[in-house]
Amino acid sequence: MAEDKKISLGRIILFAVVAVGGICGLARLVLGLGATTNLSDAYPWGLWISFDVLTGVALASGGFIMTAVIYMFNLKKYRPLLRPAKLSALLGYLMFMAGLFFDLGMPWRIWHPLIMWNPQSVLFEVSWCVMLYTTVLGLDVFIFALERWRAENWVRFFRNIYVLLIVAGIVLSTLHQSSLGALYLLLPEKMSDLWSTQAIGVLFFVSAIAGGLGVIALESLISSRVYGRKPEMVILSDLAKGMAVIMLVYFVIKVVDVSIRGVTIWELNWTHLLFHAELFIALVLPVLLLILPKVRNTSSGLFCSASLATFWVALTRFNVSLTSYAGYRHASYFPSFVEIAVTVALFALGILIFDLGVRYLPIYEQDNPASG
Amino acid sequence: MSQGMLIDSTRCIGCRSCQAACKSWNCLPSVQTTFTETGSNPRYLSSNTFTRIIFREVVRPEGEIGWYFVKRQCMHCNDPACASVCPVGALRKNENGPVTYDDSKCIGCRYCLMACPFQIPKFQWESAVPLVRKCTFCADRLAIGLSPSCAATCPTQAILFGEKSDLLKDAWQRIEARPDKYVPQVYGEKTAGGTSMLYLTSVPFDQLGLESVGFRTDLADVPYGLHGREWMSKVPFIAVVAGGLALGLTKFNERRNRVKATKEE
Repeated sequence: MAEDKKISLGRIILFAVVAVGGICGLARLVLGLGATTNLSDAYPWGLWISFDVLTGVALASGGFIMTAVIYMFNLKKYRPLLRPAKLSALLGYLMFMAGLFFDLGMPWRIWHPLIMWNPQSVLFEVSWCVMLYTTVLGLDVFIFALERWRAENWVRFFRNIYVLLIVAGIVLSTLHQSSLGALYLLLPEKMSDLWSTQAIGVLFFVSAIAGGLGVIALESLISSRVYGRKPEMVILSDLAKGMAVIMLVYFVIKVVDVSIRGVTIWELNWTHLLFHAELFIALVLPVLLLILPKVRNTSSGLFCSASLATFWVALTRFNVSLTSYAGYRHASYFPSFVEIAVTVALFALGILIFDLGVRYLPIYEQDNPASG
Repeated sequence: MSQGMLIDSTRCIGCRSCQAACKSWNCLPSVQTTFTETGSNPRYLSSNTFTRIIFREVVRPEGEIGWYFVKRQCMHCNDPACASVCPVGALRKNENGPVTYDDSKCIGCRYCLMACPFQIPKFQWESAVPLVRKCTFCADRLAIGLSPSCAATCPTQAILFGEKSDLLKDAWQRIEARPDKYVPQVYGEKTAGGTSMLYLTSVPFDQLGLESVGFRTDLADVPYGLHGREWMSKVPFIAVVAGGLALGLTKFNERRNRVKATKEE
């Protein structure tokens, strides 16, 4: 019973955070961006783009990664992680869309790219991929609901076309995860050399994989604690090993990239310090930790290293989208209360809906009848 | 066909009547001025200020102090980055020169503000229904055979409006006639793939400290939208490769697992 009380207190806090964020979001819609955010002509993109969009999408990549791991690479032992990964991915994308909704100047026109096309725009491609991929994730989770409603015929129908969802999910994710980085290909003259590179699409894709794996591990550890299950330590620690390898791949690409371009790495200013923090602390530390079996095989050790790894992914996105500009803009930027409150509220809302989904949908049931 | 403006900054006297004329024609409200180091006002372009004259006081090599006035507004690129990045195609290069913006399409994503190499598009931050605003090259005036209001009002012919190819010839004739007076370069001829605005100056922009306020001297001679288009040309291949691998491996594994299952039976 004590456990229940703890959860409900947590839930009250989450609801309060959502309420505050809701009011702030409403204020943003009524009063406009200028009155409620610290965005300006000098900083047109701020926290909502850096965190809700860039970081959010990278961290929600778990759904497509588990699909690829299980169906493309036939690593069936990870099956128990597939459904929670899909549910959290769907929520991640919905929260990101909500964040984008507040960020857009005219959110009621969010559907415009559907009928107003500009095929040479990377952002146009990203919007289409994201819309389609969220539909794929929505169908995935809808199949869970169909199972719960025991709509056997429909479940069978979706199982027959399931390979379509697998392929579509992998293609769309590969495209938009890398294209989010490619958005920054157009601004070489405004960005610091440390991050302005032709390899940015690949770097975004690789770090998104690490981010997705990190979030799956975190989500699995937290929910096993909250719902009183035993964490799947064996597969989680293998998953974390995979994450460390991916992070090393990123490290190698990044080091080769900066050396080929001959960028000055060793300088003492905020931009360079944040670059060092990204590459030599936030990346290297979790990788080193995960080498130790003692860390990898305990839930607390795994939790720490996975948290660090997701923090690293967030830092890569903030560095590309904000730090990289610091030398170019004549103004400085720090998010306003409204920007922070909306972001935190969306995060809290995601947790609340995830909790709802876990309780009402067959997410953690082993040996599921359908392949989903 | 394509029209442009030749801005000979050596002729500019800093009267700012172009700023006033621009506000007047576009019905833009005046903004609170501030005390600045040099006298330029307003301090920045904004959704209410499409053009402004930058004042610069620089010590010449000979020791005397020189005053320089440089007009800033949308450059109307031949192949604009803003039009290239806009996800809904709200920005467009018109055949006769102007880069124009369609109020009804814009979703307010502000990628154009990020992408413009000259930092031109500005956002109506104060509005709850915000649009992007920038110099329109008076496309509405050109449509009825008038010249842009800034060019029409300039008392010293520092802003010449005309056929772009003629203006370019004129610019180089001026440079050849007075090599002592002009920097032997027409800013905008090749900058960022070429622009409809052409500048003549007596001192390079970087010596005026303008390289960070819109007149960058380190811009490549290619249109900046190119980088996005190169990426987009790879997208179909990435899609086919990723899709092929995903489909092939999934089907292969399906079959392998089925064979294994029957063998075990």
